[in-house]
Amino acid sequence: MVAVTLRLLLAGTLLWTAAGMAQTDSRAAEVRIKAAFLYKFGDFVQWPPAAFARPDASFTIGVMGAEDLAVALEQVVVDRRVQGRAVTVRRLRRGESLAGLHMLFVGQSETGRLSEVLGAARGHAVLTVTESENAIVSGSMINFVAVDDKVRFDVALPPAERGQLKISARLLAVARKVVTSS
Amino acid sequence: MPRQHSIRHKILAAKFATTLAALLVAIAAMISYDLSLYHRSWIADMTTQADLLGRTSAPALTFDDARVAQENLELLRYRPKLRAAAIYDARGRRVASFAQEGEPEFPRLPEADGVRVEGNNLVVFKRIANDREILGTVYLRAQYELYDRLLAYLGIAALVTAVAMLVAYVFSNWEQKVLVLPLIAIAKVAAEVTEKRNFALRAEKLSDDEIGLLADSINTMLEEIGRATRELEASNRDSAREVAERRRVEEEVLRLNAELETRVKERTTQLEYTNAELEAFCYSVSHDLRAPLRSIDGFSQALIEDFPKEVPEEARRFLGRIRSSTQRMGQLIEDLLNLSKVSRGELRRQDIDLAGIARQVVEDLQQRDPSRKVEISIWDGMQANADPRLLRAALENLIGNAWKFTSKAQQARIEIGVLRDGAQASFFVRDNGAGFDMAYADKLFGAFQRLHSANEYQGTGIGLATVQRIVHRHGGRIWAQAHLGQGAVFFFTLTPGNAEAAASRPAEAAA
Repeated sequence: MVAVTLRLLLAGTLLWTAAGMAQTDSRAAEVRIKAAFLYKFGDFVQWPPAAFARPDASFTIGVMGAEDLAVALEQVVVDRRVQGRAVTVRRLRRGESLAGLHMLFVGQSETGRLSEVLGAARGHAVLTVTESENAIVSGSMINFVAVDDKVRFDVALPPAERGQLKISARLLAVARKVVTSS
Repeated sequence: MPRQHSIRHKILAAKFATTLAALLVAIAAMISYDLSLYHRSWIADMTTQADLLGRTSAPALTFDDARVAQENLELLRYRPKLRAAAIYDARGRRVASFAQEGEPEFPRLPEADGVRVEGNNLVVFKRIANDREILGTVYLRAQYELYDRLLAYLGIAALVTAVAMLVAYVFSNWEQKVLVLPLIAIAKVAAEVTEKRNFALRAEKLSDDEIGLLADSINTMLEEIGRATRELEASNRDSAREVAERRRVEEEVLRLNAELETRVKERTTQLEYTNAELEAFCYSVSHDLRAPLRSIDGFSQALIEDFPKEVPEEARRFLGRIRSSTQRMGQLIEDLLNLSKVSRGELRRQDIDLAGIARQVVEDLQQRDPSRKVEISIWDGMQANADPRLLRAALENLIGNAWKFTSKAQQARIEIGVLRDGAQASFFVRDNGAGFDMAYADKLFGAFQRLHSANEYQGTGIGLATVQRIVHRHGGRIWAQAHLGQGAVFFFTLTPGNAEAAASRPAEAAA
């Protein structure tokens, strides 16, 4: 079992090494696109008024387990506003409180603990976005998927409804798949 | 009759012109309104369509989903007038496109917002943006059917015009039957009446409206004219007859006048001849009578003077009577000769002073009868243009009469003067003698007319006749005013003048 794992790891390392530059480039582009999408999701979702502590409170996006995306996102949101508010990017570590967040991105590296993280967000007015397979099943609201080298996403409405979030039909129109019941 | 055609055609033409004008104006207004409406609404429609498409496609562009954009465009299939559409992203790349069959062209790059007509196409570019950034551009190409519509409308207009004209024609025919034909019938009657002068014709009344009234009026008028014409003709015949009659009478009068003139001329000539003969006879008789009278007187005187013893007293008295009668007769003959002389001989007018003549006459009278005391008043300035010899004879008679008829007056007074009225001078001789009854005034100037007996006043009755003749020869008038026992005034003029002015004077003078 360990050997297999090692082999796999080795093979992965080899593959990763072989893919070289190309793979690095495509990952960087993917991250940029996802960062842009995260920022844009803010325009298609309606938060309950209680989600903002003060009228001038900033719109806070939490990023967990995806440092490259956090960096890209910080570049994207410079001088930009979501819901008429300034945007703050907050990096989160596992177990940190989700209080004050309006959106949470959970990177692929956290796939294993996805249920735990999403469970913490459950019932809160936090739009959860993931990039892992089957993340919808784990309770994610929006999950990025790759289709023909393009970034697309699926949307699950029930968790959003639980969090009192209203996702615009216009967003649903461009979603690859929309899950309406659990 | 060409006039009939004329009015019918005019009405028809007017009707057509009116219908055509109304139609053309209405059609032009409708077409232009409709086309402008079409243009505006189509542009609004397409702009809205582009807007909608942009908004629908905004998420697709945001999340870079060409498939969704394409799906959105595919919906336009249900708008066949939309020939082509495309969506470009913010960088100008065509993300999705759609075209009806056979319309595969798209602009390579999107343009700024705008709408324009390109031939039969309406081209719309519409920016897609959210509140912060430009997401892309929608391109639409739709049919622009303005020209097709215009053609279609023109076709409809032609058809409508044709139908309307046909209807107008049919309507006009009906109208002519109802309105124009009765008028034409009346016009025909009027023309016939004028042409043939037949006032017995009558217009037929075809309707109960104003035209019917017109027919009635014309008929009444015709009746009136007919009657008037008949009367006029009758009266004309009468007039013609009268004129002829008058002309005949005039001719007769002219003829009679001419005859009369001839006769008058003949008579005048005869009269003149007779008159001249009479005067010559009178003169010679008077002249010849004087010789025997002179013998009678002479021998009577000789008997008295040569035989004072032989002739007894009785005979002497008789002889005296014979002599006085003879002398009276001589005087008479003398007067008659004077009268005759006054009538004959030439009138020699010259400027004379009647006052001078009157004084000489008065002097003669006073010398002849120095015992008479008569107050004489002779005015100054009695100039006249007359024959001095005849005027002297006239004044001798008039003043002599005055002298004679004042012989029995207490304070005899004689006045000789003149009354001037402009150029007319009325001379007068006034006395306060016996006067006369005005009833006999018209007999005053006839020869041998005496108003007083010879016993009372001497005279032959020739004097005033002589005066009148002298005055008449000068072209003047003579008249008198008198009251019995209160004197008389004799007026005379020496120029032909205003009879009325002269006649108004005597009253003043006599007063």
